[in-house]
Amino acid sequence: MAGTGWGPLGLAAAMALVGTLASNSALAQAFKCPKVGGDFVFGQEANVNSLDQMTSTTISTRNVAMNIFEALMARDENNNPITDLAESFTETPDGLVYTFKIRQGVKFHNGKAMTSADVAASWDRFKRVAAERNILDNVEKWETPDAGTFVVTMKKRQPTFIEFISSFSQPIVIIPSEHKDDASQQLRTVGTGPFQLVEFLPGSHVRLRRYDGYTPNTKYTERTGFGGYKQPCLDTVTFRIVTEPGARVAGLRTGELHAVEDIPFISVADLKKDNRITILPLENWWVHIASANSSQAPTDNAKFRQAVMALLDNEEIMEASTDGNYKLNVGFQYPHQASYTDAGKEFYNQKNATKAKALLAESGYKGEPVVLLTNKDFTSMFNAALVMSQQMQSIGIKAELKVVDWPTAVQTAAAASPSPGWNFFFTGYGTQPALGALATMNFFMGSNPNYKPKPGQEDPVLKAEWENMNQSTDPKARQAAFVKMQHRILQQALVFPFGSLTKVQGVRANVVGYKTFRIPRFSNVSFQ
Amino acid sequence: MWGVVLRSILGSLPVLLIVSLITFGLMRFSPGDPAAAIAGMSVTSEQLELIRKDLGLDEPFLVQLVKWYGGLLQGNLGRSILMGQDVLEVTMIRLPVTIALSLYALVLTLVLGLASGIIAALRQNTVVDQLAMVFAMIGISVPNFFLGLLMILLFAVHLGWLPTGGYIPLSQDPVGWLRTSTMPALSLALLQMGLLARITRSTMLEVLRQDYIRTARAKGLPSRLVVVKHALTNALIPITTVVGIIISLSISGAVVTESLFSIPGMGQLLTQAVLNRDYPMVQGGLLLTTTFLVLVNILVDIAYALLDPRVRYERS
Amino acid sequence: MNGPDIVAAGRADDAPLEEDFEVAAQRQSPWRMTVRRLLRHRLFLMGLGLCSIILVAGVLAQVITQTDPTRLAMRWRFRAPGQDGFIFGTDNFGRSLWSRVVWGAQLSLYIGFSVVALNAVFGTLIGAAAGYFRRLDNALMRVNDALMAFPAILLAIAITAVLGASTFNAILALSIVYIPRTARIVRASVIVLREMEYVQAAVAAGAGHWRILRRHILPNAMAPLIVQLSFLFAYAVLSEATLSFLGLGAVPPTPTWGNIMAEGRQYLVEAPWIITIPGIALMITVMGLNLLGDGLRDVLDPRLRIQQ
Repeated sequence: MAGTGWGPLGLAAAMALVGTLASNSALAQAFKCPKVGGDFVFGQEANVNSLDQMTSTTISTRNVAMNIFEALMARDENNNPITDLAESFTETPDGLVYTFKIRQGVKFHNGKAMTSADVAASWDRFKRVAAERNILDNVEKWETPDAGTFVVTMKKRQPTFIEFISSFSQPIVIIPSEHKDDASQQLRTVGTGPFQLVEFLPGSHVRLRRYDGYTPNTKYTERTGFGGYKQPCLDTVTFRIVTEPGARVAGLRTGELHAVEDIPFISVADLKKDNRITILPLENWWVHIASANSSQAPTDNAKFRQAVMALLDNEEIMEASTDGNYKLNVGFQYPHQASYTDAGKEFYNQKNATKAKALLAESGYKGEPVVLLTNKDFTSMFNAALVMSQQMQSIGIKAELKVVDWPTAVQTAAAASPSPGWNFFFTGYGTQPALGALATMNFFMGSNPNYKPKPGQEDPVLKAEWENMNQSTDPKARQAAFVKMQHRILQQALVFPFGSLTKVQGVRANVVGYKTFRIPRFSNVSFQ
Repeated sequence: MWGVVLRSILGSLPVLLIVSLITFGLMRFSPGDPAAAIAGMSVTSEQLELIRKDLGLDEPFLVQLVKWYGGLLQGNLGRSILMGQDVLEVTMIRLPVTIALSLYALVLTLVLGLASGIIAALRQNTVVDQLAMVFAMIGISVPNFFLGLLMILLFAVHLGWLPTGGYIPLSQDPVGWLRTSTMPALSLALLQMGLLARITRSTMLEVLRQDYIRTARAKGLPSRLVVVKHALTNALIPITTVVGIIISLSISGAVVTESLFSIPGMGQLLTQAVLNRDYPMVQGGLLLTTTFLVLVNILVDIAYALLDPRVRYERS
Repeated sequence: MNGPDIVAAGRADDAPLEEDFEVAAQRQSPWRMTVRRLLRHRLFLMGLGLCSIILVAGVLAQVITQTDPTRLAMRWRFRAPGQDGFIFGTDNFGRSLWSRVVWGAQLSLYIGFSVVALNAVFGTLIGAAAGYFRRLDNALMRVNDALMAFPAILLAIAITAVLGASTFNAILALSIVYIPRTARIVRASVIVLREMEYVQAAVAAGAGHWRILRRHILPNAMAPLIVQLSFLFAYAVLSEATLSFLGLGAVPPTPTWGNIMAEGRQYLVEAPWIITIPGIALMITVMGLNLLGDGLRDVLDPRLRIQQ
């Protein structure tokens, strides 16, 4: 079973797998903290502004909040949907009703026992304030027949529903029902997770304390992904904001920080020699990308975009962007994922200046300026734009950098089609590729910074295949649709995926149980 | 004297009104969007629009302006978009951090700056004088972010004496506070030290040449006593003015220093707020900060009046 | 960043001092006298020397650098100073730091000079208008005070957030921050001069406002202004570097010193030369300008001549 499919695409398989795991685990010994106690300090790169996991989708928020909050469903280590606060769930054969059994004995950090009323209140708040509230658009209603049951009724069948609600992009975390009316970004930080909030000072640090009343999910014996058998061992975990990379490295060296994220590649070789430190590369952190603005000349011309695609030397771009922390990667999924495909590889990393010039001539390009919209807040994006502009100039394209700050860049690129003032927008797909093909292809529907067709001129192939990807109940058919979409996107040169970026983390050698994941998890972590 | 105080306070009200108007206008005319800062990396246009609506950012400019001043009159500065916290509350947490840092820098400045200025003046044209002035000159010529980076490199990375950044409140652990605040305070203080040393020296030289000092010396009073009693008391007047300026310099300098050393003060808060277009935070935070600076200046005026009775007449 | 305030602080307050009137007398002494005095001033000469180094580097940037400061050469990344023939080493894109720092000198001087020029024009206009026309004084000075009440760098950050980061906008932002300070100094001189007998005589003789300002007041208000502007130059260069360092100055890959240092902070531990070399260049420039300012103040502003 496990071999047949990777979660979201083989959803039925995945669900069966959960069942298997559950029955096995009852036999095995559950995880026990090798040692309890200790104060852990994590050096985080980006500032945390809010711990409202329902409204903030930034990675920095998730880093902290995912240790505090939990949801009905989560993803396991391999990104398959698993139950977390739900004990189990059933789906009616017509796919219209999902019934969740709520785990018993789970208590919030304020001591209150969690019931289905809290779940319903949490879904209410999500529907009201979350940026991704549209994932509940197809839901007719939710009900709580009793304290341990939560029933969701769909408007129409949606085979991808469980995949969406288990997503950690903006999870529907469960909060006490009395916090239901908290305004956007103002959620009181009370969850059911293994750690509870002690102190939060934006710009400086967040301190969490072990929640002694935590009830682990006994269906499992080990932590897996954001779920599984979680057990807090450390007394406290402090996320310290250390924006200077040099300072993070120095802090790790001196032991002032026990783990850090985002180690510059140039420091890695040296740190590897230090036996008090373990270097943990977190591969495939994001797909580094530039999207083309198909609503503005000259990037409205497919021939012109293809000329650029033919020209690009992605190794050079990735090398400069990441200082060497990268892997070349065709498309929008990673090789370890079952949904990975190299469809369209003939268009990727061609480095063919002759072909590029020919296509450029065909496109009728007459030296109009081409604007590369990038920002300095994310160095890797700026560097990619810099190198790409130079490559474009080498065949006579008048490439110009437009460097603004991140909020301005997003606003410029998000402007309704035909969106003026830019031709290429530099960004990264982080969470979506990790969540799966569906989440990523979602970018190619409607007009957004990642896909900017002229009004009413959306790509027909993409539109049709997107329908297939969503409506088809057969995982194979859905995968086939994705393969076609990726091929089409690269062939039409709608976006330019440069490669996948590796984020390097480092941890002190006396730390046990710290395993890299998209988000640092501090349950089941202890000191030697 | 109370007249001076009252006039200063009344005089500062229109200034604060203009400050708030400028801030409001600046923020609303800036491109970029606080929604983008909340939404993270890969947001769709649709989601941006939703967030914007939730935040009331789709309302017309004038409506937002009226709402803001309406709140202000009721003592409500609004809520930070990004942090969801009350602006006044956040400021009351962050401002003391910056003030503590500024005071530390001020103490360093006063002790080292005054001492080197006085010594240089007393030993005018000697090696000591020249050395002190060379250091003062270096102090006012080094950008504080450069100095900060060099100190991190030396004291944190190579010697490992001090932490690379972070902040421990004074009330929590005084030693920890000293360890985390010393590098930032030094990088803030060096510029001011240089300035103060130079001003102290020239003021002292000026005073030392006054007739009454010469008379005191001629009367046979010991030189050191003369200096302390007469010269220094007179030199205090211009120095008081400088102290006011130094505090506002510290707040300004804190913008860079706090970011560099990850110190959760006002400078870092406001910079982040501007860069993320957190309108209420910028408007409220800047208004409170400038109010604070205006108050400091009023205090300086009072100190000035106390030190120099002539001022009362000149100023009126 | 608030630097020029200190120049004013040196004057204790806006109240004029008797010595200022000597300026008028000084004007009659030949231009050559001033130059001769300056050339005898040791610190001024030192400042002149330091500034000349930077000025020559900036003006001759085209001639003395071999490589394009923005051209990437990934093969040559992170060469230490002296290695592989790179005098100052290379940065993370393999660009020669010698090229970048020398071109950076040109930009720093250009930006500093532009801010000074804008201050000279608008600071004088606003200051003279406020000081001479009493009716304008209150309104102008209130706005002036408000702009000065902002923490300076934050105002510059907010302005560049509105206008967007670019060399031109950095010049504009710094000018907006500093013009109120310059205007205040001009205003103080003008208020004193307005009451002088010879000015009153000119008024009585029926001379127009413009003529009085141009012929009788402004020339005599020049000395403190020149001193202020020389210090302002130093602060403009410093502040521009700070703005660039925060990512709000000239847009990279433009080689300004602040930009080079901002990029280098990533590699603080492994390639410290990337921040150190432009840092030292910046220090030399600011120090040179400060020394020039000291010299000018000693010679032009007789109130402080006592120090010599």
